[in-house]
Amino acid sequence: MPSPRGYFWNAPVPYAEAAALQEELVRARIAGRIPDTVLFLEHPPVITLGRRGREDYLKHARSFYRESGIDIIRSTRGGDVTYHAPGQLVMYPILQLSGSASASHGYLGLLEQTAVETARAFGVEAYTREGMAGAWTDAGKIAAIGFRLKRWVSCHGMSFNVQPDLCGFDTIVGCGLEGEAVSSLQAILGEAAPTVPEVRTIMAGIFGRLIRAPFSLEAWTDEGLG
Amino acid sequence: MNVPQDLRYTKSHEWINVTDEEVTIGISDFAQSQLGDLTFVELPTAGDSVTAGDEVAVVESVKAASDVYSPVSGTITAVNEALEDSPELINNDAFGEGWMFKVRLSDVAQLDGLLSATDYAGLAPGDA
Repeated sequence: MPSPRGYFWNAPVPYAEAAALQEELVRARIAGRIPDTVLFLEHPPVITLGRRGREDYLKHARSFYRESGIDIIRSTRGGDVTYHAPGQLVMYPILQLSGSASASHGYLGLLEQTAVETARAFGVEAYTREGMAGAWTDAGKIAAIGFRLKRWVSCHGMSFNVQPDLCGFDTIVGCGLEGEAVSSLQAILGEAAPTVPEVRTIMAGIFGRLIRAPFSLEAWTDEGLG
Repeated sequence: MNVPQDLRYTKSHEWINVTDEEVTIGISDFAQSQLGDLTFVELPTAGDSVTAGDEVAVVESVKAASDVYSPVSGTITAVNEALEDSPELINNDAFGEGWMFKVRLSDVAQLDGLLSATDYAGLAPGDA
């Protein structure tokens, strides 16, 4: 099995574009044309609803979001409603789970562990909570999880708040959890907070170790499609 | 890992109980354990015709959604409607009360392409 490939983007990638690319990568992974592939990127401001995400978790009328420049998109991932924006790092692993080391520990737990260890790498104590997927700090939720499996190849994944404008989260009931605070590395660490590129390097290292297949990161090119 | 000997399997973790030309299909114990507590099951409709490899159902947990494929071609003859109110039946009894749908086979020879319990158990990771 060849090493996974890791890719990053330096400019935010529109959600729909990233979703279409992931679908192509999932098809290529199922066909065995590419190895496991892990994407690291940011999105322009967007609210996404999971397959069964409820519109009543939007606190405002649709026109409010339009005027605020926030798209609303229905996603094929599991989970409820969430918010993405620049300054939030998303990790989308296109991973064949069947038969991999990751599968035996549960993919959800693997993503949570990656988020917890990434926060800790920057001196922020994070933890998981029983029955509530994601990673949390005493100041609020720092990472959200929602993924999709097709023939046991994963897509979508995890979002991790490095330094996004957290106001967007106030416009939704995140993950359908009423009254739960959201935080970020910047909100906790202030000036000492790392940048998105610094966090993605650390996160890629942690994830590679947890799936027992370390990989390096390079800027995305279409060669990643095999 | 729980892998009943009398069933057949697919690489995508469906199981098939072959009794006669009507077979019963569900997802394996390994599959349900990977998804976690299921919250929703989208089933096919009785009477639909399906081709082997078609996406016919979706199972969802709190944070994950996964497709379920028909391992065989034929006509859907029944679906487990109890799953609509109680998706956790799949978590609790994947190979029994958690069955998902039945198919009347159009090509019995397709059964030869399915995995035996031994082959399937060798394929999935252990409970390490």
